[in-house]
Amino acid sequence: MIYFARKFGFFLATLWAVITLNFFIPRLQPGDPAEIIVKRLAGKDSALDQAQVEAMRAMLGTPTDSLWHQYVSYLSELVHGNFGLSYTYYPFPVTEVIAQAFWWTVVLVAIVQVLSFAGGVVLGAYAAWRRNSRFDSVVTLGSTFLGTLQPFWIGLLLLYVFGYTLGWFPTSGGYEESTPGWNWAFIQEAVSHAFLPAVALLIVTPIGWILGMRNTMIMNLGEDYIRLAKAKGLPDRTVALKYAARNALLPSVTGFALALGGVLGGAILVETVFDYPGLGRLMGEALQQKDYPLLQALMLLTAVGVLIANLVADLLYGVLDPRARRAEG
Amino acid sequence: MTLLDVRDLSVRYEPKASRSLDAVQGVSFSIEPGEFVGLIGESGSGKTTLGTALLRLLQRPGRISGGSIEFNGTDITNLPEDELRSLRWRDLSTVFQSSMNSLNPVVRVEAQFRDAIEQHSSLRGEAVTRRIRELFDMVIIDPKFMTAFPHELSGGMRQRVNLALALALDPKFILLDEPTTGLDVVVQHSILENVRRLQAEQGFAVLFISHDIGTVLDLSDRILVMYAGRIVEDQSAAALLREPLHPYTKGLLGSYGDPREETVKITYVPGRPPDLSRDIVGCSFAPRCPERIQLCLEQDPPLVPLNGGRVACHVAVLQREDGGAERYGEPKRGFEGPQFVKTAAESQDALANEVVLSVENVSKVFERRRGFTVTRTDAVRDVSFELRRGEVTALVGQSGSGKSTLAKMITGVETPTEGRIVFHGPDGDKLVSGFKGRALRNYRSDVQMVFQDPYSSINPAKRLGYVLSRPLVNYQGLKGEELRERVKELLERVALTPAERFINRYGYELSGGQRQRVIIAKALAVEPQIIVADEPISSLDVSIRAEILELLNDLVKENDVGILYITHDLLSARMLSDEVIVLNGGKVVEKGPTLRVIREPKDDYTRSLLDAIPNPF
Repeated sequence: MIYFARKFGFFLATLWAVITLNFFIPRLQPGDPAEIIVKRLAGKDSALDQAQVEAMRAMLGTPTDSLWHQYVSYLSELVHGNFGLSYTYYPFPVTEVIAQAFWWTVVLVAIVQVLSFAGGVVLGAYAAWRRNSRFDSVVTLGSTFLGTLQPFWIGLLLLYVFGYTLGWFPTSGGYEESTPGWNWAFIQEAVSHAFLPAVALLIVTPIGWILGMRNTMIMNLGEDYIRLAKAKGLPDRTVALKYAARNALLPSVTGFALALGGVLGGAILVETVFDYPGLGRLMGEALQQKDYPLLQALMLLTAVGVLIANLVADLLYGVLDPRARRAEG
Repeated sequence: MTLLDVRDLSVRYEPKASRSLDAVQGVSFSIEPGEFVGLIGESGSGKTTLGTALLRLLQRPGRISGGSIEFNGTDITNLPEDELRSLRWRDLSTVFQSSMNSLNPVVRVEAQFRDAIEQHSSLRGEAVTRRIRELFDMVIIDPKFMTAFPHELSGGMRQRVNLALALALDPKFILLDEPTTGLDVVVQHSILENVRRLQAEQGFAVLFISHDIGTVLDLSDRILVMYAGRIVEDQSAAALLREPLHPYTKGLLGSYGDPREETVKITYVPGRPPDLSRDIVGCSFAPRCPERIQLCLEQDPPLVPLNGGRVACHVAVLQREDGGAERYGEPKRGFEGPQFVKTAAESQDALANEVVLSVENVSKVFERRRGFTVTRTDAVRDVSFELRRGEVTALVGQSGSGKSTLAKMITGVETPTEGRIVFHGPDGDKLVSGFKGRALRNYRSDVQMVFQDPYSSINPAKRLGYVLSRPLVNYQGLKGEELRERVKELLERVALTPAERFINRYGYELSGGQRQRVIIAKALAVEPQIIVADEPISSLDVSIRAEILELLNDLVKENDVGILYITHDLLSARMLSDEVIVLNGGKVVEKGPTLRVIREPKDDYTRSLLDAIPNPF
């Protein structure tokens, strides 16, 4: 129990550190956001109109208090879920902009990650168990080859072939005419829009799991407890699953939880290629447009996602590997 | 009816990257029900491969390339895995060499018994639990550990659990592959006692694989000696001890001595076993054999019946023919190879030498903080002794006795909590404690350490020349030709000659004994006053241990260094040391001239250590 309590305490401390860094880092940057925005609106060459800058400040709400007060009010706004207004989608609040993109990404990327992990681990374990068989060679060589490709590039290919040339799938967006919600028309459209991005990701993401699982499993197969399990005359299935795979899975679990945490960061390039209305595309836009409030909120979201995933990984590891509990608890 | 009948069995390894080799070559033997058979040989002799083949657990690139294994009337050589499965564990079970890893680390011990029992019997549920409880009782472990995970058990307990697991289904045959290697002598002793008692009670047959001839002689009815993939001798234990037939067996027996004698002699077998991936003409042992005749170099001796046993040696057979004794000499019992002799008189002289290190009332307390509670462990309590030049002091004790902590304080890694350690060096007396920076560096050139495992103490990516030049560059600032000369000198000092042949080789190309020589050469590079040797021979083959002991002994005599020899083995302590200090629970329980302590132990703990030395004589 101490193990779990300690892990949770550690999580809270890191969360606080992340939030604090997220507050201070942007403030270390030189320049006045108001001036930058006015400059961008007015065009590069025009002179800076002080009146406009003042107006912009008034609109954004310019901090006048000390840094400490700002920090405190930042924390309290955070607690109330107020992240400010987006510049790009003015005057919508950042939370609303993110909320709209949130589910698109979470559904797409999370499904992809879960499928990749499950498929990758199973393929890797089977390849290791049947080491040097034809199946193993195909999987290993295929993974090494596909691993050199980039998902966005595969995305472009898919778009060209199945989108433009064959016309089987839509080429951009998340849905067409239907109203978002739990209705059949919308679900159909959403699925057909998500299909190509999902395939583009699914070709590449399982590779890490396949190779990782295969390697650890092969190492584990050399362990004495595997030999002993065979000597005990247990069926191959039991030896492969309960003895070999069960142990080989441990390192992958941590990796998987971290990958799930990364879901909130979206898949920037793939989402951009498919013009998919998710968090990744939003992040790309926010970067291009220097939309600080949006960017800050997205960063925080990603960081918190990774942190939560880390916590889950640690807790899960404690359940899966009894040795971890004692070593640290 | 014969339980296990092995005929002409050969095992071939065919790795892709290197030459193929026959690790087991035409081996034939049989084991009767209830018989306890020992199988001895040094590392690389093929004994473990043979055991693995008997269990049909060989993995690629190894395979059975010829011969047959018949178990209880069934030929299992090529039996399909599905049919083999019903035999496994119910009829033949095993305890592996490094049983530290032979339990699944993420599953509770009970479940690992349960799956085997349920696989092969009709017991289910509560009945299985009762059976496991019974098995735990047999190996004298509290049944409450049933629900423990493997890492929660100590090494000795884990090995007992493995033994209990092997007994789970009342098998007819158990293969024990070095079941106690790496455990403390006392623990080792009690586990083997346990094995012997259970075997007598339950009557299963055992093939006991070990490199330790003492233990094997102690336990077995009959002994098989294996060398270079073949069985070279097969005799009952008593006959083998009385009249060993093969010179290699004599060599192994010679590596044992009685520590109680005034003068102890132990022999060693020079050279290394042959490379099995190359063709061997004549007897494979001939290059290392002191009794060889011309015939041995030309013809491979077959394994033939002799004196009620079997032997593969031309000389042994010829000597015992009619009139053979006149032509080939009387059969010899001993191994006429290099010997290492230690007399009690030598020790007396050494104990009169000048003191180089004094340890005065030293204690060490470790504090561990967890939350608000502080746990104090007394690792070393009030220990005092003196180490002299040209003398060896042995620190004897089992793990946890504080001997390593003491070594760390002497090398300046840890600081004593109480008491002091004084080094009487060439620049006057120095207090050894908490050296930092330059002082620590200087002290390091006075005190050097030789570790237990020669396999991991040499950087595998560097040539020996480089490995040995590092301390010379660091401590003495040698360069160029001078450096090269000094490296060669060091190699020759430890008898790695000619030095040119070794200077460009890598550590992993050498045998264990040669590696340990390199480590010793490295320690000598800085011309230390004191060498702390932590179990320097325990991971070496018995046949070459004496070789390292002799080297250390020569160093003491010629260079006037003092050696602190840390060990759990009283026999080797007797061979090397002049004075012995027995530690138990951080305290000195006995101290005195080695021979006196061994002959007239005063403390119970010393006595139990002495009892644990297998004594076949």
